[in-house]
Amino acid sequence: MAESRSLKKGWRDVRTIAYLTLDTLFWSKKTLFVMLLSVVVLGLAIVGRVVLTFNLVPTALPSSQVFGTLMATAVIRFLVLFVTLFYGTALISEEVEGKTLTYLFMRPIPKPTIMLGKFLALTWIGSIMVLPTVILSYLILYLRSDMNPFFQDLGLLGRDIGIILLALLAYGSFFGLLGAWLKHSILVGLAYAFGWEGFVAVLPGFTRKLTITHYVQSIFPHQDTLGALSMLMGERTDPVEAIVTLVLLTTFFLATASLILREKEYVLEQ
Amino acid sequence: MSKWYGQVIAVNNITFSIGEGVIGLLGPNGAGKSTLMKLLTGQLRPSQGEVTMFGERIWNNYELFHRIGFCPELDSFYERMSGAEFLAALLQMHGYEEEEVAKRVDAALETVKLTPARDKKIAAYSKGMRQRIKMAQAIAHDPQVLILDEPLAGMDPVGRHEIIQMVRQWGREGKCVIVSSHILHEIEAMTSTILLMHNGQVLAEGDVHQIRDLIDKHPHSIYIRCSAPRKLAEAFVGFPDVESVKFHPEGDGLTVESRKPDDFYGRLPELMLDHEIELEEITSPDDNLQAVFHYLVK
Repeated sequence: MAESRSLKKGWRDVRTIAYLTLDTLFWSKKTLFVMLLSVVVLGLAIVGRVVLTFNLVPTALPSSQVFGTLMATAVIRFLVLFVTLFYGTALISEEVEGKTLTYLFMRPIPKPTIMLGKFLALTWIGSIMVLPTVILSYLILYLRSDMNPFFQDLGLLGRDIGIILLALLAYGSFFGLLGAWLKHSILVGLAYAFGWEGFVAVLPGFTRKLTITHYVQSIFPHQDTLGALSMLMGERTDPVEAIVTLVLLTTFFLATASLILREKEYVLEQ
Repeated sequence: MSKWYGQVIAVNNITFSIGEGVIGLLGPNGAGKSTLMKLLTGQLRPSQGEVTMFGERIWNNYELFHRIGFCPELDSFYERMSGAEFLAALLQMHGYEEEEVAKRVDAALETVKLTPARDKKIAAYSKGMRQRIKMAQAIAHDPQVLILDEPLAGMDPVGRHEIIQMVRQWGREGKCVIVSSHILHEIEAMTSTILLMHNGQVLAEGDVHQIRDLIDKHPHSIYIRCSAPRKLAEAFVGFPDVESVKFHPEGDGLTVESRKPDDFYGRLPELMLDHEIELEEITSPDDNLQAVFHYLVK
């Protein structure tokens, strides 16, 4: 009984922290930038649709191929990365810079609860920023007089959404960890996302397993339709192993971030 | 306990214990008051020694925050929330049910006289209102220990008076209230028990009157910004408590030196009314307090 009451209070605390965090994250300049990125992705979808409609390429392309390319490049390697990088690194640093962290630390709640609440907020805002773009892109590319492909590939869309959520969790927790740990976390995050991950992707052997993107790409459903791009992605890990690894990485990053939050002294400068 | 950052010692070998009542933490800016308050509230971990509250170590002991309220010095908020939303969100983290949260929000807002502005966004609050809402979040869960870091900073005279009365009342009710300021008058109005800090050390502990005697030997400087500084300066000529008057280059204020600040403050409102001068700001720089610290250090 006492345990269930404590769990209920824990969940309420997580939600309250998430609510406070959402307020801080959403009404920031980052949101404007992320919205702009979403518009760019939608713009690319519209370009894809124009190409499909007017047969502007020599070989006929199915909608699934254009959609798959859009997901693999613009959404996962661009939108998801920027969303999690901007919001993830800001989870703690925004409260440190805004000097509001004191209000949370002066409450009778364990610091891992604070981290969990913030992570929940990141997942919410990440989903709000990315998923509508994915669904709209699907509609843009698939809505036509022949609705068969639309219904046939709905399963693929569902899988894409699942993978995007997994990517949001893994990248979000990683950048959240950087934000809790380092002062200039966004620079380190940028170096990781666009330096390390890009560099390692072209290296043969085991090293590419030291990136989050490797596991995300391993479960990506569009591998059969991507051609050369698919080859660039290189050797894949077994999908089940990749999903388990992403979940374990998320747990590890979150636990480490909570530990840092617990042990680190945050100096709120005047 | 001590606290240092690299080579810099912020709090140096301090030992004290506090019980019920109000205790004033007095010292100039940079004396280490805020660091000490952060150590007392477990935001910082001592480099040496320990801070205990109710016999338990405070660092990472979140359960203690059911019994502790803290009003930070920093003027920072979740700006887009209303005062009532802000309090409700923080109270929810104390485990109260919705109904209890609502009751406590109303009571806290009433105590700090912010009820009319409860649904206004904090971003639209005046400096004084922001100070009040900060106080409200510290007291809303009815803690036994209240730690208030410069609670009167930026408040108007009426607000100051109200907060001072509240602090005194909480002390009378048997709460332990630790309140910091760099202005002796403020502390003196709230308590006669002080802890005098300078350069991270406690210089003196005890009755404020002994400090007051020391301070009165040094001129007390008071900065006044008003609608007619020259007219006010002329009026000061007849003040036996005024030692000197200096005009500010901007032309909108003056600094007065007085050896009897209490008498000066007592006469000032009447003088302003008689000469129809509008008071915009009155502050007391801690130069004179600094002089006392030098005197004590010698």
